[in-house]
Amino acid sequence: MKAMAELKQGLSEGWRSLAEGWEHIREHAGAAMTRFRRDRRPRTLPAASDENFPLSSPHWGVLAGEVFEASGKVVVRLEAPGMDAKDFDVQVYGNILVLRGEKRSVQEAGDGTWRMLERAYGTFERAFRLPAEVRAEEATASYRRGVLRIELPKAKPDAPRHVKVTVQ
Amino acid sequence: MDMNQKGLRREANEEAQAAPLVPPVDIWEDNDGITLKADLPGVAKEGLAVGVDGETLTIEGAVSLGESAKLKDVYAEVRVARYRRTFVLGRDLDSEKIAARLKNGVLELRIPKLEAAKPRRIPVRVA
Repeated sequence: MKAMAELKQGLSEGWRSLAEGWEHIREHAGAAMTRFRRDRRPRTLPAASDENFPLSSPHWGVLAGEVFEASGKVVVRLEAPGMDAKDFDVQVYGNILVLRGEKRSVQEAGDGTWRMLERAYGTFERAFRLPAEVRAEEATASYRRGVLRIELPKAKPDAPRHVKVTVQ
Repeated sequence: MDMNQKGLRREANEEAQAAPLVPPVDIWEDNDGITLKADLPGVAKEGLAVGVDGETLTIEGAVSLGESAKLKDVYAEVRVARYRRTFVLGRDLDSEKIAARLKNGVLELRIPKLEAAKPRRIPVRVA
């Protein structure tokens, strides 16, 4: 890379943090590894076979999810940077919350070359088991700072089995 | 979840806080400069630091959760409090003219090339 290179710090420090990182990922982030599908041809990213496109964006990305519980509500957060609220599809199936989305790539203006492509693009799907019965029809979802946050009030067991939640 | 597991997880969370996460980036280079995009979900403008020291560009972000302490976490995959990544800027880049923008958890940096480093187009006049 001509214009910019990643700075590698001390090798030993690098190995240490790498080992720690993997250990941490193995224990806590297995489920956060999310498959990004590109069934349709991406509108903007050129094909990997293109001469000026030696890199291909990854098919896997880490979308960290969290489920919180408080009196009266369940809160689910998903880190999904670089999206629009309208790119999310949030649905509740019984006690399973399903989050789908599409991360779109953006065309860069003019002639140029990708030097690094580490961020994943495409469609993804994540499912979370909710710790309690919820009133899905009263759920709210918001998207801020690249984090999707869904708040679901806890409720009676006769809650509807399948409700679509609109992302605001 | 039993106490032992919970304790282990807390320990791991503390470790995670000590070791910052390396954010994934896309870098696009064109004739006028480079555009860098880094995923920093949960980072507010106030928690972001972009700095250049000599040839080293450092991106640092602190996550502000914004959740009240009353919430009990049932399940957490990656609990990172901090992002950090450093790059070496090529000599052809003008580090004094870096423009930064943070939107939807994505930091976008535009670093122009020095005038001298830009390819020059020589107009051809038809005689």
